[in-house]
Amino acid sequence: MEMLHYDFMQRAFFAGGIIALVASVLGVYLMLRRQALMADMLSHVSLAGVAGGAYLHLNPTLTGFAIAVVGAIAVEYVRRSYKTYSEISTAIIMIGGLSSAVLLMSLNQGMNKGFSSYLFGSVVAVNQTELSLMIAVAIIGAIFFIVFRRPLYQITFDEETAKTNGIPVKWISLIFSVITGMIVAAAMPIVGVLLVSSLIVLPAALAIRVSPSFTAALFVAMGIGLIGVFSGLTASYELSTPPGGTIALVLLVLLVAGIGLKKLMLQMGKLRNKKTSSKTDIDSTVFPRYTKNSSIHTTGGKENESMV
Amino acid sequence: MLLSSMSKVVFGYSDVPCLENASIDIYSGEFVAVTGPNGASKTTLLKLALGLLKPWRGDIYLAKQNQSGKKLVIGYVPQQIAAFNSGFPSTILEFVRSGTYVKGSWLRKLSPKDHAYTEQALRQVGMWEHRNRKIGELSGGQKQRICIARALAQQPDLLIMDEPTTGMDQESRFGFYELMQHHVKEHGRTVVMVTHGLTEVRSYLDRIIELERKEDGGWKCCTTTSCSGHFSPVG
Repeated sequence: MEMLHYDFMQRAFFAGGIIALVASVLGVYLMLRRQALMADMLSHVSLAGVAGGAYLHLNPTLTGFAIAVVGAIAVEYVRRSYKTYSEISTAIIMIGGLSSAVLLMSLNQGMNKGFSSYLFGSVVAVNQTELSLMIAVAIIGAIFFIVFRRPLYQITFDEETAKTNGIPVKWISLIFSVITGMIVAAAMPIVGVLLVSSLIVLPAALAIRVSPSFTAALFVAMGIGLIGVFSGLTASYELSTPPGGTIALVLLVLLVAGIGLKKLMLQMGKLRNKKTSSKTDIDSTVFPRYTKNSSIHTTGGKENESMV
Repeated sequence: MLLSSMSKVVFGYSDVPCLENASIDIYSGEFVAVTGPNGASKTTLLKLALGLLKPWRGDIYLAKQNQSGKKLVIGYVPQQIAAFNSGFPSTILEFVRSGTYVKGSWLRKLSPKDHAYTEQALRQVGMWEHRNRKIGELSGGQKQRICIARALAQQPDLLIMDEPTTGMDQESRFGFYELMQHHVKEHGRTVVMVTHGLTEVRSYLDRIIELERKEDGGWKCCTTTSCSGHFSPVG
């Protein structure tokens, strides 16, 4: 573990780890809300902030962060007017963000070289501002996902029934969008604008396929995110490849391998069932019936009791 | 006790009103069916009553508290249940348990009572044995059952269901009507459901709200008081 002797690698592992944790939990909710592309979109929008910051001689990290949050709020309002097609709002805001980013970048020609670190990420060059921003975002995100876990579950499933249950859906949805913007902006230095969604979407995509329950999906996503970032960073150190791209590629390989493994296990299960075909599960073949009698025999449903 | 009421409500999605002069009152302890042909704004009527839509004109009242002075709990089972997120990675148990979240704070620990309500609701719809399956694997009819179970796990004062019996086989339908009647009579809940199978359910109901076409094209409400006369709405 010679690489951990360098303090830039320590910082990279630390920053990558905390962002992997919050980003993958965020990803699970984003995917289930049909907003998987929102991360990609917000990162493009925040590029406009970075370009604007450079043009106005402000700190580009902070302006990028601010614009990502503004973009998240905007997308929430556009989404409300395109209820059934929430991906359209994503496209609309993305066009706005990317086009203004291109215009702003053309205004300061001398800057163009610095942009590649925003586009592709440079986690080994994470500076102090970015690091403290990441820590703050991770803390806020963690608090949000813990405090709001129940309303979030209900809203993610169905907004209308959540509303009739007295949950302030509009507010929680808005806060969720803002948190999304913050996490995206904080993740940018690690994997860059073009690959931010890999950190958010890929762990969630695999977790949703393999997890037996919702709570498990959240934890599995965090685990996959951590594995992806740590092994990506190690690989990029050993092979001297760009860290952002390596992390994204590792995550993609994990996704494909995970889905393949799941398929394989299903096939094996089928084979095993064929051999012992006489013994079928009686419970699952009984047709369910409605009944008034509801004497409770067993544990009272405590099994699987967990975070949610 | 009056739970929900509408008076002279006008509502439309575009510039033409689809519901005009709708006035209904729903009292606690009633089993009410809403019926009418396709496109008669039945779902719209429910959504207006729930406050999911805002009327153009007219007043909508929804009680804040139930008879014992606690916060009114509403269970809503929307129509397009079968269309829900098939990839949702939740188990049935987790999903139905989320019905018990409506009470108390978001952070409280679930009590044994909550788990008992969850189990009871799951047993009542006959899905307890399936509790550890993922909701994405279920058939349309099973999804409907667990949505009803989630609404029941809330221990709702007012249970509003949009065509809950669509796609159910006959035996299940009668079991379902009996279950609902049980909840109305034994637990004092109010059940409002949209249905097309009036002939079957008539004997269980207290009241029928029928949406009829007016001469000039809009839709109006027309309440028929009921059928199972031995049970009248409680004050």
